[in-house]
Amino acid sequence: MRFVGILVVLAGWVVTMAGLIATTSTLSRGLFACAGIAVSLFGIFGILNQYYLGRALWKK
Amino acid sequence: MVSFKTKARVLAAIFGFAMVLGIAGSVCAAEITADTVLTGISGPKSEDIAGKGDAGAELTGTSNDVTISDASKGLTVQDLVNQAGQNKIGLNFTWTLICGFLVMFMQFGFAIVETGLCRAKNANHTMMMNFMVYGLGLFAYYVCGFAIQMGGCAPVANLGGLYPLNGEHVMTLFGKPWGLFGTKGFFLTGAHYDVGVMVMFLFQMVFMDTTTTIVTGSCAERWKYSAFCVSTIGLGAVIYPLFGNWAWGCGWLSQLGVNFGLGHGYCDFAGSGVVHSVGGITALACAMIVGPRIGKFNRDGSPNAIPGHDLVLVMGGCFVLAFGWFGFNPGSTLGASGNGCLRMGSVAVNTMLAGCTASFAALLYMWIRYGKPDSSMAVYGMLAGLVAITAPSGFVNPVGSCVIGWIAGILVCLSVEFFDRVPKLDDPVGAISVHGVNGLFGVIAVGLFADGRSNYGGSWNGVAGGVKGLFYGDPGQLVAQLIGVSTLVGVIFTMSFLWNWLVDVFVGQRSPAKWELAGLDIPEMGALCYPDFQLKANDYAAVAGSEKTGTLVSK
Repeated sequence: MRFVGILVVLAGWVVTMAGLIATTSTLSRGLFACAGIAVSLFGIFGILNQYYLGRALWKK
Repeated sequence: MVSFKTKARVLAAIFGFAMVLGIAGSVCAAEITADTVLTGISGPKSEDIAGKGDAGAELTGTSNDVTISDASKGLTVQDLVNQAGQNKIGLNFTWTLICGFLVMFMQFGFAIVETGLCRAKNANHTMMMNFMVYGLGLFAYYVCGFAIQMGGCAPVANLGGLYPLNGEHVMTLFGKPWGLFGTKGFFLTGAHYDVGVMVMFLFQMVFMDTTTTIVTGSCAERWKYSAFCVSTIGLGAVIYPLFGNWAWGCGWLSQLGVNFGLGHGYCDFAGSGVVHSVGGITALACAMIVGPRIGKFNRDGSPNAIPGHDLVLVMGGCFVLAFGWFGFNPGSTLGASGNGCLRMGSVAVNTMLAGCTASFAALLYMWIRYGKPDSSMAVYGMLAGLVAITAPSGFVNPVGSCVIGWIAGILVCLSVEFFDRVPKLDDPVGAISVHGVNGLFGVIAVGLFADGRSNYGGSWNGVAGGVKGLFYGDPGQLVAQLIGVSTLVGVIFTMSFLWNWLVDVFVGQRSPAKWELAGLDIPEMGALCYPDFQLKANDYAAVAGSEKTGTLVSK
């Protein structure tokens, strides 16, 4: 899960860059950037952190 | 009697007149050339000064002090112009160096803030981490970090051009050039043994040092010292310099305006993103890997407050940092003369306003919500405001900086609560909230509040005109800033996480539980910070309470 999480984090940036290259509309690029940030944050807090929380010392 | 100061003014007037003549040279035949000798100008005689002294400051700083290239000819127009150029660059070097020294002094502020927020049993360990980021980070940055970051930043007019730094590795993708990293300046040898490069190195080095010291706070009280050393070297050598290059070293983020028409490209005046977000995001990755301190969370997941041992250090350190920030932000003009450098006063006032309003906002928030004006959060608030204004300080007006400060002050309080309660990340000094979250907010704030009135030599990142945010009519600037945020969260987090995961695998990030309970001063450093004080044996019911709290499980 750790590596899935980090791939999702990186995928967020890929979404942002795809928007930058695929369109010339400022609004579309902005929306792609917001979506990319959201995907990266999901990777950090929704996957990676959940992985570490599952193994947390204080739960044992 | 005409004073020598008056003569100097006459000299300046002649120089100005000569410049006008030069510009109008195409209109009327130029009679003054570079070799024209200026006659009738004389300074005080040495016997005058020797005999009288110069209590009135009339004999010092005259035409005698202008360097003459050929004494047989006398003072020429070329001599005057050379002197004017050297004065400008000398002024800019001095300003940049003094600001760099102020930023270096911020290390002391960070060290005592972090140490004060930690328990006494870890004071030596925390101080030693903050102490050694200077040595370790500097060495890594000297070897390769500076070259990767600034190796292709030339020309920088305010510092004499920096022409030796002319190597940027550029990849062409989708028909656009993408600057990835610098290639000149390793070890500061060869052509990079240059007066301007040295000034730039010092100024950028102390910025990098700030980034590395942020991480020590989030991992304090349980980070193995050897792991800290290796982690810091990686951050200073590669991770920080890469983003620094993309933003400040003519890399691809700074060229988003030129290549994609997004405002002026990614704009980060003094480093909310480059310095603070990189530090805060690395702190997040490290805190995740290292895990929370023993006793921070109960078995049901509820957090416990672990108070620091010295609020005097915390608040004193905050003032040291606020003072140092006057080097951080105004110093980022990289000079005091030329290319809009006179905005340094505006930058300083913005810095001051955002820090104060943020502190006030945090204090009010805590007072209203919890009934007491929390001193730690007031400190976090001030630092958050200073972090948030770092990127916009050169582009916004005082009203904008106040609004940014207010938002930052509230944001840091919400963020500290969030990290404690939702992802359950232990951050003893609030580094992730102060530097990471508010650093990202500062980057976005440029895209919102930049008022278009700044004019640094007529352009920024190669795009003519002042930087304008969304509220002043340029949505493209906000998009450029969002792409910067996405890069920080997506790429820099990934690099930091992978690097620190490797450190965890090969070195081990976490101190043994026994050491952590005893305090890291003796097991890690071999000496107590306060040997004459009797410290509490254990804050969290020691081993006896382990079953109750469920916290004492050694790795």
